[in-house]
Amino acid sequence: MSSLIELDNLGKFYGNIIALQGVTTEVHAGEVTCVLGDNGAGKSTFIKVLAGVHQHDEGEMRLEGEAMKFNSPREALDRGIAAVYQDLAMVPLMSVWRNFFLGAEPTKGAWPLRWVDKKEAKSVAKAEMAKMGIDIRDTEQPVGTLSGGERQSVAIARAVHFGAKVLILDEPTSALGVKQSGVVLKYTLAARDRGLGVIFITHNPHHAYPVGDRFMILNRGKSMGNFAKDELPRDELVRMMAGGAELDQLTHELESAGGSGGGA
Amino acid sequence: MSDATVAVAPADDERLAYRGVFQRLLVRPEIGAIIGAAAIWAFFWAVAREFGKAGGILPVLAVASTLGIMAVAVSLLMIGGEFDLSSGAATGTLGIVTILLVKDVGELGGAGLSLFIAIPLSLVVALSLGWFNGTMVERTGLPSFIVTLATFFMLRGFKLGFSKLIIDNITVGRIDEGHGYDFWVKIFGSTWVRNDHQFEARDAVYTVGILGGITVLVLAFYEFNYLRKERFNSAGLASFVAGLGGVIAGIAVMHGTDGTGGNLAAGVIIGLSGVIAVFGLAVWRYEPRSLGALSLPSDVVLTAGGGLALIAAGFLCAWQFDVNSQESVLDVASALRWPLVVVGGGLAGLIMFKKRGAQISGDTQQQIQGIVRISTVALGTAFGIYAFMFMTTEQGLRAILFAAFVMAGFVLMAMASTHAGRSSATAKSIVQLVTSVAVVALAFFIQGQSGTPKFRTEVFTILLVVAMIIAGWALTNACFTARRATDAHADQLGSRLAIGGLVAIFVGLGIKLLFTTDAEILAGIPRAQFRVEFLWFAGVTALATFVLGRTKFGSWIFAVGGNKDAARQIGVPAARTKTQLFMIVSVAAWLVGLLLAFRLNTLQSGTGNGLEFEYIIAAVVGGTFLTGGYGSAFGASIGAFIMAMSKQGIPAARWNSDWRFAFLGLILLAAVIANNFIRTKAEESR
Repeated sequence: MSSLIELDNLGKFYGNIIALQGVTTEVHAGEVTCVLGDNGAGKSTFIKVLAGVHQHDEGEMRLEGEAMKFNSPREALDRGIAAVYQDLAMVPLMSVWRNFFLGAEPTKGAWPLRWVDKKEAKSVAKAEMAKMGIDIRDTEQPVGTLSGGERQSVAIARAVHFGAKVLILDEPTSALGVKQSGVVLKYTLAARDRGLGVIFITHNPHHAYPVGDRFMILNRGKSMGNFAKDELPRDELVRMMAGGAELDQLTHELESAGGSGGGA
Repeated sequence: MSDATVAVAPADDERLAYRGVFQRLLVRPEIGAIIGAAAIWAFFWAVAREFGKAGGILPVLAVASTLGIMAVAVSLLMIGGEFDLSSGAATGTLGIVTILLVKDVGELGGAGLSLFIAIPLSLVVALSLGWFNGTMVERTGLPSFIVTLATFFMLRGFKLGFSKLIIDNITVGRIDEGHGYDFWVKIFGSTWVRNDHQFEARDAVYTVGILGGITVLVLAFYEFNYLRKERFNSAGLASFVAGLGGVIAGIAVMHGTDGTGGNLAAGVIIGLSGVIAVFGLAVWRYEPRSLGALSLPSDVVLTAGGGLALIAAGFLCAWQFDVNSQESVLDVASALRWPLVVVGGGLAGLIMFKKRGAQISGDTQQQIQGIVRISTVALGTAFGIYAFMFMTTEQGLRAILFAAFVMAGFVLMAMASTHAGRSSATAKSIVQLVTSVAVVALAFFIQGQSGTPKFRTEVFTILLVVAMIIAGWALTNACFTARRATDAHADQLGSRLAIGGLVAIFVGLGIKLLFTTDAEILAGIPRAQFRVEFLWFAGVTALATFVLGRTKFGSWIFAVGGNKDAARQIGVPAARTKTQLFMIVSVAAWLVGLLLAFRLNTLQSGTGNGLEFEYIIAAVVGGTFLTGGYGSAFGASIGAFIMAMSKQGIPAARWNSDWRFAFLGLILLAAVIANNFIRTKAEESR
């Protein structure tokens, strides 16, 4: 399997603050690469560098073997890197189909009489979402009336439709309930099965483990290593996530305090 | 978002319940404004006769045009999430700039340009003004309120300063002295005086347009509501044609005869043929319904009976009504009046205190609330007694009782109809038929009893039409099967018919407004003037509606107003879109400035100052959100029409025009509440 994105010793500084340093990983097509980390681990910086919001200061990012530095989200999008953010993915008052095609509306006619081909847009939006297994009742309904999970799903379907090669999901499940999270995880796998390289960013190892093929753990801006799924049992992942030894100590303290709780 | 009613969903989903035509209309942002405009127009028409005539409606349209062009542009900007407080001052500025460029007098000599150069040059000024506003807002990230407020003051200063500097006058005038005026006045200032254009067949065209339009609208309504038959019934078609012929014959009778007898005969012919035509239309195309066993639940009978009794009680109260009588209701000795007021008020307060006294022992907030409540009741009662003894005449009291009883009666009838609808459609239709009979009775009662002839005839006609609509609705609902599923073909046909019907009605009305006949000139009708502004207004509204609903740029406007970060993230050039919106507003201001310059020939340096809030109000009345992301350009034009009606209607009704702003405030409040309500409904029905 060829690697879509290779990161080599990537670093990002904000003034004297080291947000990210020495991050090395690979993203493969048809695989879910999970990036895990607690708050402040550097996850957001990592996404922003990949999606073109910020530029890295150190190391190299290679897209299909070619060294890259994106100047804007649009540029990253044009190269096939689509980011789906948890809260700012959609315009709530606009209909599903308008959101789906926002910024890339199919048009008919010649300028200045060029209009959006509404019928086409609606049927494509519905069909594309159906292909992902997302069943929207009415593409004319405002996105604001959808549930959080459905919104994420529409955003994923949109990225897939517009030919994204790499899909970055930023904490897609953090604001969702158990069922809704399950829905989003299902679509994450659907995107993977369609041959995309998925980067799944989360602080929840229980969501990451079932969908992930590879894991990279960030702590305090540094990578704690890359692991394939078979090298890393779930408990170990949870332990590393929470800072390994620190959690052991916490469990120990809690137990000695007399409580029976503390099981991971 | 802007043409949800016309669109046909490409793939129907079985989980979508069929939404009737009313529900689909309700989700439109501008529906509140349309209903409001109709209500306000009807209101002014009732109090000021001119509002029903070309001479009264055209000045309203003239005011609405310049206001509306700006309101439409401002609504686009507001949907995009920004405001432009300089838009009002900009209209005057750009008009004045154009005139100043043409002048060749004054201390500095003036530019003395031809209008062929001055007009494009002022357009460039307009574009740069909008670009400046947009760029400042985008670059600084400051709220557009602040940035454009600054521009507003600058423009005010420039207008005054440059006018004084160049021509030493704050009245900038005589655009007609400019070179090329004859050409440009055709584009920005031409007029059409109705009395100069005769068209003898006008009334025939008007009648055909209105009748045809109504027929097509009825058909569209059927198409939306009833299940179509597999094979059409030709007998139905025949009775439709016969009924239509009857209506035309009735209208001919009305034209041919004079006096009440002739009108009554014509009215009967028109009414009966109308029912035959409408019913025939339904028989022709739609699936009949088996009536089924008829059951009227006792509570329905009771409610409806109560409603009828209340209406009858109302009639009794107003029997032998004499509008000129000034007799007072109570003849209480004058010495006793004030003591009665005080005792009554005190008593009410005491009773309230007994009931709510316990509350006053609570904390401070509760104490205050309790005291406020008790004193409100006491003062209210005292005022009621005062008003009753000093101000109420016997006729006034009877009129109030009549209105209250009749209204309560119809509310009960409506409740009965809803109740009946739960058991069967047939029962509902029967209650509705009874209601329509009650409306007819009311019409005849008012015609027989009320004072002024104008009120009498107009209310009579309106009530009869209302009764006919209720009866027709009840009959077709009883006899035909309602459609319960989406049918792409029928929906498409229905919306095309609806548009066609509206166009026919507007063409009919337009012909009636635009032309005059020999008979009218002999009778000496007032001159009615059409201005080219109306066309600009219609054009700008249509263009903006198209852009919002059907173009990429329209989608981007909604997106940057709804969620700017998401829009930018997905690749919408948000800053550029917003800057372009500011430029659209300033180009609209340029257009309005020129229209004003060519209409008035001379502009004051204060022209347009302070109007920016009227544009914003018009947009909000038309359903645009102050918070951005939602709205309609068409709604804004209706909002402008409402504002213009209130401007022109209050003087036309010979009221004190000092109260105009109070009226405007009420309209704004009502519109915002109505829009909010509609939005909630819309989201529910999705």
